[in-house]
Amino acid sequence: MSSLTLRNLKKRFGRVDVIRGVTLDVADGEFVVFVGPSGCGKSTLLRMISGLEDVTDGELRIGNRVVNEVQPAKRGVAMVFQSYALYPHLNVRDNMGFGLKVRKVPAAERQQRVSEAAALLKLDALLDRFPRELSGGQRQRVAIGRAIVGHPDVFLFDEPLSNLDAELRVHMRSEIAALHKRLGNTMIYVTHDQVEAMTLADKIVVLRDGRIEQVGSPRELYEQPDNIFVAQFIGSPKMNILPAGSAAGFGAQPAGAVSVGVRPEHLSLVAPEKGQIGGKVVISEYTGASSLLHIRLDSGETCLVVVDGDAPEADMKVGLLAGTDNLHHFDTDGMALRKSRLLM
Amino acid sequence: MIGSLTQRQLRAVKQICWTLALCVVAIPFVFPFLWMISSGLKGPSEIFGQPSLIPTSFRWNNYLEVFNYQPFARQYFNSLYIAVTVTLLTLFISSLAGYALARLRFAGAALVALFLVSALMVPEEVTIIPNFFLIRWLGLSDTHWPLILLPVFGSQGIVGTFLMRQYFLALPKELEDAGKMDGLSRFGVWWRIALPMSRPALAAVAIITFLNSWNLFLEPLIFISSLEKFTLPLALSNFTDPYGSPLWHLQLAATTLAVLPILMVYLIAQRQIIESFALSGVKG
Ligand SMILES: Nc1ncnc2c1ncn2[C@@H]1O[C@H](COP(=O)(O)OP(=O)(O)OP(=O)(O)O)[C@@H](O)[C@H]1O
Ligand SMILES: [Mg+2]
Repeated sequence: MSSLTLRNLKKRFGRVDVIRGVTLDVADGEFVVFVGPSGCGKSTLLRMISGLEDVTDGELRIGNRVVNEVQPAKRGVAMVFQSYALYPHLNVRDNMGFGLKVRKVPAAERQQRVSEAAALLKLDALLDRFPRELSGGQRQRVAIGRAIVGHPDVFLFDEPLSNLDAELRVHMRSEIAALHKRLGNTMIYVTHDQVEAMTLADKIVVLRDGRIEQVGSPRELYEQPDNIFVAQFIGSPKMNILPAGSAAGFGAQPAGAVSVGVRPEHLSLVAPEKGQIGGKVVISEYTGASSLLHIRLDSGETCLVVVDGDAPEADMKVGLLAGTDNLHHFDTDGMALRKSRLLM
Repeated sequence: MIGSLTQRQLRAVKQICWTLALCVVAIPFVFPFLWMISSGLKGPSEIFGQPSLIPTSFRWNNYLEVFNYQPFARQYFNSLYIAVTVTLLTLFISSLAGYALARLRFAGAALVALFLVSALMVPEEVTIIPNFFLIRWLGLSDTHWPLILLPVFGSQGIVGTFLMRQYFLALPKELEDAGKMDGLSRFGVWWRIALPMSRPALAAVAIITFLNSWNLFLEPLIFISSLEKFTLPLALSNFTDPYGSPLWHLQLAATTLAVLPILMVYLIAQRQIIESFALSGVKG
């Protein structure tokens, strides 16, 4: 098992800078999730760690070893691909044992490691099948099994669940969490999915345009986003950002605050005259347990609110309340003005 | 009437109709083939007598005569080993070259591909003269070398390279990445992942290469002069009487023998193609 250190890592494809200096420490046994909009360089960063892409500049360490120039198979990492990438001409047993065979692990030990992994992932009954004869979830498990048998220090996952249907995704998510608990390896996991990121991660890394926007625990990112981008990226539905003037009704603002953020789930509906600010319901989307309301504020902005239970109908006038604890203030550059700083 | 048929009966009727129709379409292809087999069992006069697919008496003796007339067994073997060698070499070289063109980034890769394709447009009759001088200069006249080297490094190799390149381009890259993660070298990825997944393309290249080498006529005609070094196409045209007119009964009997390996190669390759289409259920 190993820690992982990225020092000012850069990647350039031709003339395009894709990773523009990423510095990150991953502790031994940590579960780190990379999130960010499409094309921000999540996969590229992961592939640099795996060794499938060269490092243009910077330093990459796994444990105490600088691995910039080390071949993928000798880094002690294993990767699970989005498309599973199972060898179609080999059965499940040979797919899982392939890497060991290439590394000339004796047949007996190979057999044993494959059986262990198969037992762990409940693949015993499927060992003689070919990938085409497996369901999506089973293929995913074989792909994970193939990573496990090599006893890697670090697991890398590139959107491993995005080809599965919603129900199976939830199930596999918990299996991966259980696997991490059981093996205790360092894991790096790329995803688009908010919920996956929040539930799995010890630490979330938010990327944008090849740079890190913020690193922190799911709670930190949710409660104390560093800037508007992170604030809106984490959490669903996304945070309302209102001009400071329109949000003045919510309470005192620190000096320099240009915009105010408040999450839809932190706003509550009251009668129009009791609200800190007022507005009118434009659309009411019923989603079962709760409803998502689009509200046109008196100042003209649109604001999302999540309400449990009965939702008011469209065109009704409402008032909005927000607790001061739930307000986020941002300066002209979109950087957060921290509450700690506010108190000083 | 038709309306009273059950679904299953209807399907059977449809199937019979289709089969009959296809049989009719097949006649122009199958008939000459049958004619060849039948004439190979007739006497020289009967071939031009009353036309009939069934010989009045089966002259199995024709087949013995084929081997006595000239060193036919030797010639048959020549063709066989040359075609097998050409096929194996072409498979090896064109799959390697095709992989390089599809996956390696090197200066001028696109130019090389373009050059290969344009080389295909030059007809063989044009290149045969410079090749003739080249082979004579190398001292390889009246050997089998030109029959092996010219196809492998000529049009057959190019067609093969091109086919393989196109096929490799379409293979999922993540599989090769997985191979690299599993510790394979570039060469290992080619051999243990790309090739096993390319069986349909390899089979197609094998068929056309084997067929082409088997039927090669111009090159042997120009480069080979000794009877025992003849390949089949030359040998077949050599079944003549002292005045140079063909001995049809021998020629057709020999041709019947010459067709057998083609049928076999076709059957083997076809199985590869069908099997690997079943394999390629690469989902997602
Ligand atoms: N081999 C390559 N050559 C040139 N540009 C590339 C290459 N691979 C990736 N890129 C570019 O690098 C950027 C980041 O790509 P990457 O695949 O890492 O994004 P991503 O964050 O994984 O996106 P997604 O969420 O859609 O998977 C993209 O703009 C992409 O076009
Ligand atoms: Mg990606």
